[in-house]
Amino acid sequence: MKSISIGRRSAMAGGAMLSLLPPGLARAASPEAFPKEPVTIEIWWHEYGPMTAYVKELIEAYKKVRPNVTVHPVITSSGDINQKLTVGLATGTGPHIMDQDASFYELYFLKGVLEPLILPVFDAKSYDEIIAHYTPGGLDAATFQGKIYALPYQGNSMSLFLSNKAFAAAGLDPEKDAPKTWDDVKALGPKLKKVQNRRTVQKAFDFPYHSPRWEVQCFQPLVEQFGGRILSADGKRAYVSTPEAVKAMSLWRDVTKVTGDPRTTLNTPSNPNQDFIDGRTAMWITGPWATSQIRQSRIGDDFTVVSLPQVNPAKPHTILYGWMWGVNKAKPEAEKIVAWDFVRFMLAKPAEWLEKVAFFQPVKGLDATATAQHFPFFSVHMRDIETGTWYIRSEYTNEITQAIGRAIERVIYDGADPKASLDQAQAEVNRVLKA
Amino acid sequence: MTTRARKGRLGWLRRRRGACLAFATLVGVSVITLLPFYWMFSSSLRTMDTMFSLPIQWIPNPPNWGSYLRAWHAQDFGRYFVNSAVVSVSITIGNLLLCSLAGYSLTKFSYRWRGTAFILILSTMMLPLEVTMVPLFLIIKRLDWLNSYQGLVVPFLVDGFGVFLMRQYMLSIPTDLLNAARIDGASEFRIFWMIVVPLSKPALVALAVFTFREAWDMYIWPLIIITRDSLRTLPLGISLFMSSYGTAWDQLMAVAVLGTLPMILLFFFLQRAFIQGIASTGIKE
Amino acid sequence: MARQAAFGRLIILPTLAILFIFRFLPMLQAIYLSFTRYDLVHAPRFIGVANFIDLMRDPLFLNAVRVSFTYVTCSVIPVLPLSLGLAILFNRSLVLKNMLRSAVFMPVVMPAVVMAVVWTFMYEQDGVINTILGWLNIDPVPWLRSSATALWAVILIGIWRATPYYMVIFLAGLQAIPGDYYAAARIDGANAWQVFRHITLPLIRPTTLLVIVMNVIVAIKVFAVPTIMTQGGPADSTRVLPLFIYQTAFEFFDMGHAAAMSVFLFAAVMAFSFIQVRIFTQREDSQ
Repeated sequence: MKSISIGRRSAMAGGAMLSLLPPGLARAASPEAFPKEPVTIEIWWHEYGPMTAYVKELIEAYKKVRPNVTVHPVITSSGDINQKLTVGLATGTGPHIMDQDASFYELYFLKGVLEPLILPVFDAKSYDEIIAHYTPGGLDAATFQGKIYALPYQGNSMSLFLSNKAFAAAGLDPEKDAPKTWDDVKALGPKLKKVQNRRTVQKAFDFPYHSPRWEVQCFQPLVEQFGGRILSADGKRAYVSTPEAVKAMSLWRDVTKVTGDPRTTLNTPSNPNQDFIDGRTAMWITGPWATSQIRQSRIGDDFTVVSLPQVNPAKPHTILYGWMWGVNKAKPEAEKIVAWDFVRFMLAKPAEWLEKVAFFQPVKGLDATATAQHFPFFSVHMRDIETGTWYIRSEYTNEITQAIGRAIERVIYDGADPKASLDQAQAEVNRVLKA
Repeated sequence: MTTRARKGRLGWLRRRRGACLAFATLVGVSVITLLPFYWMFSSSLRTMDTMFSLPIQWIPNPPNWGSYLRAWHAQDFGRYFVNSAVVSVSITIGNLLLCSLAGYSLTKFSYRWRGTAFILILSTMMLPLEVTMVPLFLIIKRLDWLNSYQGLVVPFLVDGFGVFLMRQYMLSIPTDLLNAARIDGASEFRIFWMIVVPLSKPALVALAVFTFREAWDMYIWPLIIITRDSLRTLPLGISLFMSSYGTAWDQLMAVAVLGTLPMILLFFFLQRAFIQGIASTGIKE
Repeated sequence: MARQAAFGRLIILPTLAILFIFRFLPMLQAIYLSFTRYDLVHAPRFIGVANFIDLMRDPLFLNAVRVSFTYVTCSVIPVLPLSLGLAILFNRSLVLKNMLRSAVFMPVVMPAVVMAVVWTFMYEQDGVINTILGWLNIDPVPWLRSSATALWAVILIGIWRATPYYMVIFLAGLQAIPGDYYAAARIDGANAWQVFRHITLPLIRPTTLLVIVMNVIVAIKVFAVPTIMTQGGPADSTRVLPLFIYQTAFEFFDMGHAAAMSVFLFAAVMAFSFIQVRIFTQREDSQ
């Protein structure tokens, strides 16, 4: 029996399964290796109201299963967690369990700060057993040299959210007239974009501009839709100015011209969906996590979600990004076992994460749960997750992200030529990769 | 209106033209300086739905006072306030005392290495915290001051900037005055306390305002050395409202107003002292 | 005399001790790190001046230096006449003087994080500022959404916040000028400009020096506002050096380069302060 629970089996209590750990495995593997004396572990995560409430609930529940363990939570705003974590890792004061954007884990792995998943804690004999529970490629961002170093509690894709109200006002049907390709998006531009007194009061669609990371979350699948890729398979080379990338950039610019107005946006890194919520854009790309915020706004349930528009809908390419739990290598063995055990406990019920936090775990079988059936447009999100490629992962993800972000902003804000702008980005990236 | 009356009024206007112009300019400047405060306050009273409505709503109608209550209860703000107050007041008192002593030493005494000491002190304010942070963190860790008030306060008890400010100001204190007191038999400490400190009042108030603001604003340092909720300071509490999943702007603005209030109050009290201080010193340059 | 000097030394000791432990030691460490390759996780490895040579060829670093230079010059220079001008206006009898002075001083007390968020709101396309410009029939300006204007938007906030603070320092300087000087000038028939040029300006020179040096040091370390408002964008137009240093250290895990940039920054500020003090003291000597 596998104790990493997924799908329907997720209803089972983690503690009950743990008692079934097979005895006699080597090293820290035996259940005897799980400390019996009091242990305190620290977990850091980034603030999001529903998630904080749920993880605190999990900490309480874990106390009942493991009375000798105290879990100390430290909650930091999402803008600051990286800084805090970096200093913690650099000075040996980091937490046992860390929370970080998935694209950071390659860097963390290369720096040697991660403890690989301890298989016996999961009652597994190989990493493949764990991988089998996830959607194809769902653990790609956590797997290095054959070992799993982190587990995602949130795997997102970017799908297209449509405002039913804006569609109806333009005499369109959000189901029937929903765009499937970027050409469809462009065609909808004149119908959904409204300008009054030279001011754009409603955009048909707009790409995100509030952070380089969001920009790349949209740019990466565009490049892939044209048949290109940003990183080589080993992550050592980056191809930022290939013909495919130039096509992607030109498409981005052309779509924006017809549908959007990048200067009229209220989106900020701490409120990325503001334009859509305020009814200033009729179509918006965002992740499934935005569902709860949108439903609480005045849009309510009056929206539709369709798959990310494609260049060729027959060969869809989407993005996968998210956040993962990892365990700090610098801690004592016994505490690392406890840490992984608590990670396993936290992730044991993907349906609860979906219900309480609106986070998707990229696991198989989630669709069969009752929660999934009630989650608006669950199957659309899951399909986009399944066709997704993880966000670029390299030791230099942040540098590459910034270089691409700058290239996009030069084209959109300053009217630079796509090829020239991407060439400049390529030069910047090469400089970093060579170092 | 008779011609004479008009002439009289025009004459008054002409005589008072300078004052009127000054008054009008300052009213205009006040509008610019106060506008963001007004906007912060009125945003805190908007609902999320009307936060960005068009055309912009100058006066929120009806005002949404609920944001204050919700924001206050969302985090342990009472505690964060106390922490920020303890830290900021300690740092401010430390700076007032140590910077004025150091400034006094650097201006009114001559001894070997005085110039070197000044250069060293000056040099410490030129590097941004972002770079010295990791080494500083390791020092605090070795002192076992992580998660403590000491860790938040002691490294900032004195600042090169403050020493520089006090030194520049004290250059204008007449040395003769101090020597006269010495001849009268006053002790060195008494001279400092009874003559130098009162004479430095304007600079001390400027330093207090500046130091208190910087301490109240302190962000990155508490962020990295504090992991206990009970030791969080106000800016850390405020930052928790900024989430990458969507921000409750009304609540964020409400805590922003609450977080700015102590600074405003402090300033109102200090302004009086400041002005009196200037009036009473009558320093000759 | 010796006892006096001993007292002088004694009272500077606590300051030196605290600064030595908590500023100077970390600073020395940072200087050492600038000669190393250091990724924050593995031990630093000495590589000589390689980081510095590399920086001189790094277009991103050079851009950050350019942005910082623009920020510092354009936010410091206007503050001088503005704060001095306001101080002069306040240095006379006025109706509602205390109230106005409080109002004008207010920007100083707004916390930086709050300021960044509120101004981000105000700079929006349909925000307060563009609405007011609209009343004056000026087309909306894409403040933070264009690399042509974003830096100016950030500079404006810097001026907004710095001017009142230095106004108060100038005011203290002005009030210290004895009234007889002005009376004498008026008897000699000097006009307002001449009084300003030949009495006020020379007498507040020490204050001016203080204001320039303080302002430059604060401006060169500006971090919170561009970080929160623009994260350095669009297209790097607001990525000031401290923000780039921060990103290099904590996002790129490259403490060696970050430290080298800091040493550069340090040298620049030191050189500037030194030259400033020199120029001002020389002029005094020549008078």
